Amino acid sequence: MDMFLGCKDLSVRFYNRSEKILNNITLSIHKGEKVLILGPSGSGKSTLISTLAGIIPEYMEAEVTGQVFLRENVGVMFQDPDSQFCMLHVDEEIAFSLENRSIPRSEMDEIISYLMNQVGLKIDKKTSIETLSGGMKQRLALACLLALEPEVLFFDEPTAQLDPAGRKEIFELLHNLSQKTNQTMVFVEHVLDGCIEWMDRVIMINEGGRVIGDGKPVDILRHFNNEMKKAGIWRPKLFPYKWSEVIENPSHPLSIKLSKELETKCQVKTREYGNENPIIYTEDLEIGYGKKSIVKDINLVIGKGEWISIVGENGSGKSTLLKSLIGLEPINKGKIYIQGKDLKKWSDRELFERAGFVFQNPELQFLADTVFEEIAFGGRQRNWPKESIHAKTKKLLQEFGLEAYQNEHPLTLSLGQKRRLSVATMLLFDQVLLLLDEPTFGQDEKTASELIKKLKERQEQGTTIIMVTHDMDLVDHYSDQVLLLNKGKVVYQGTPYGLFSDEALLWETKIIPPLHYQLMHARRERVLV
Amino acid sequence: MKANTSFLATLNPSCKLFAHLFVMFLLMNITNMKGTFFIWILAVLIGIFLGGWRITYFLKRLFPYFGFFVLIFWMMAAFGEGQETIWQWAWFHITKESLNHGLTIALRMLAFVTYGLLFTSTTDLTLFIMSLIHQCKLSPKWAYGLLAGLRFIPLFQSELNQMKTAHKVRGYKEKNGWKAFKRYALPLFTHGIRKSERIAIAMEARGFTGTKNRTYYRTTKIGSRDWAYLLSLVSVVIGMTFL
Repeated sequence: MDMFLGCKDLSVRFYNRSEKILNNITLSIHKGEKVLILGPSGSGKSTLISTLAGIIPEYMEAEVTGQVFLRENVGVMFQDPDSQFCMLHVDEEIAFSLENRSIPRSEMDEIISYLMNQVGLKIDKKTSIETLSGGMKQRLALACLLALEPEVLFFDEPTAQLDPAGRKEIFELLHNLSQKTNQTMVFVEHVLDGCIEWMDRVIMINEGGRVIGDGKPVDILRHFNNEMKKAGIWRPKLFPYKWSEVIENPSHPLSIKLSKELETKCQVKTREYGNENPIIYTEDLEIGYGKKSIVKDINLVIGKGEWISIVGENGSGKSTLLKSLIGLEPINKGKIYIQGKDLKKWSDRELFERAGFVFQNPELQFLADTVFEEIAFGGRQRNWPKESIHAKTKKLLQEFGLEAYQNEHPLTLSLGQKRRLSVATMLLFDQVLLLLDEPTFGQDEKTASELIKKLKERQEQGTTIIMVTHDMDLVDHYSDQVLLLNKGKVVYQGTPYGLFSDEALLWETKIIPPLHYQLMHARRERVLV
Repeated sequence: MKANTSFLATLNPSCKLFAHLFVMFLLMNITNMKGTFFIWILAVLIGIFLGGWRITYFLKRLFPYFGFFVLIFWMMAAFGEGQETIWQWAWFHITKESLNHGLTIALRMLAFVTYGLLFTSTTDLTLFIMSLIHQCKLSPKWAYGLLAGLRFIPLFQSELNQMKTAHKVRGYKEKNGWKAFKRYALPLFTHGIRKSERIAIAMEARGFTGTKNRTYYRTTKIGSRDWAYLLSLVSVVIGMTFL
């Protein structure tokens, strides 16, 4: 059989597992085809592309049976932008690919500048890699792969560690590249917006590592909607519809749905902020490191039980502000009051009984050997009586669906469970204030929505929630107040509706509003025309 | 480690390192205070005239070591042995010999640090590793592995900081240094191992074999100026030992 790329009756099993991760897979991928592989986490999507790329069993050991048809020159892009580089500067990193292919030194400079141009890296070639943003790093990673002159490019969740702006950037770049070169591309992704529109074919894998669907994107979306929902895939908000149809035709199903959503948003009354006893307020706060100021003139009033979102581009100071609010980063100027008392006058112990902080990477936040002890930690530190620790911990384990795992090591949990645990550990003292740094970042839809549900329940019981996020749907749905940081200033503070209806501000701060607001803006424009 | 624009920065890193190591070796064998002093002054002068150091930079970098200098000097001088007593009070006993001895040891330490700084402040890390491949015949497998590993250091630092803050929020107090170390080290190492595995796979997937069968983007050679620096430094220092 003459096959460009593919496999026949392929099964893969890792030596430390008893079950096969891939089961009898037969696939044939044509030259120039763009293929997207979907499936729940743990279904072996990554294993499949690693096998097709020849990484398994060559560099990663596993038991492989069946036939695999490989191409000789391939490139693989991985999800963590940081763990695919081995040099310190941009030019050296691209040159590393060329060196491996024994390209003569005299040809390297020209190839490097050509590749940097092709992936849109308009920076000095001597730039240090660690100063690049996530999107820029993935551009560089692509340049390094193109330097291999691959016949096939594989992408293992290339945008999972990027914010929406970075994701859009990378998908647009890849789309352009695919049109220019007709490169064969194989993707694994769990966010479909931005890539499903230009895929030729979608392959759906189930938990047992078997192919259950293989066809055109539109058909797969229609037939496997439930499976995708269960697998936690972020389904496209627009596709397979076309945006122009939705705008022009008010009776289009999506148009009706979006209009309805918009109406409910209009009806929400603007609440009075900062009721009698604000839980936290700031006076002319300036955050930064030493002499360098990051954000100036922050005057916040946050009432009990409110849900606040802090948004802004990468590097705008969102995370620093969040940490500064409870004294985890020093402040330059101004004052912060928590429950009416100056932050400086709070002792750490008292403060953190009232405020919890959930970090972006839950793994670095765990400090005990079992899930139970992880939650009970604060109580043990304070020498609480055994019975009350036990009762309190049990309740939290139950609330966050972690009872069955109470004796496991926190690091062995799944990503979603780790997230839930990281929140649960911050609620042992029924903290009235909960700060979260991008709690849904890099997660699939299912785990993200489970987490948000739990937070919503807590908020209804009176917990104040302040979170940094890039997810504008989340901002729109849940927050009472949004804080937008841009170029060292707070440029917006108010309801999500107010922010998302201000087209000029959105454009200036590069925020992409939820779809129903986009519809609103598009309709306004049509009226004007 | 980053290079500046000085003369020293243009030298071959391996050659420069060898020259400095040789001086350090000599320093260990000199017991003469004056000689040690001049060798140290030589390093300072090289730094200022050939290494592109500004006086403020030099003072800032060496300032912490002056503290050590005083400490070592005092320890050696006040508790040393010797015949000619200069000053004596309680258990302090300063003699001419101990004074001399203390000054030699303290200056030796300072000279060591200065020669080290002379190297690190004028050498580009990547070029240094490359010159280890070209001049010292280090296998590319180790050299590129080393480079990839060095990228981890800032990463480790930021991860450690995050863990410390997380512990603070949870009310953990470091009572015992060793216990705190174990607490932080395990997750850091497991993270590190997982990351390094991923990097290794990424490097191999890009065609890295670790053999010498490859071309190089940056090559280093030994030229006449490298020999000139090595030989003149070594001969001047040897001359000074006889002072």
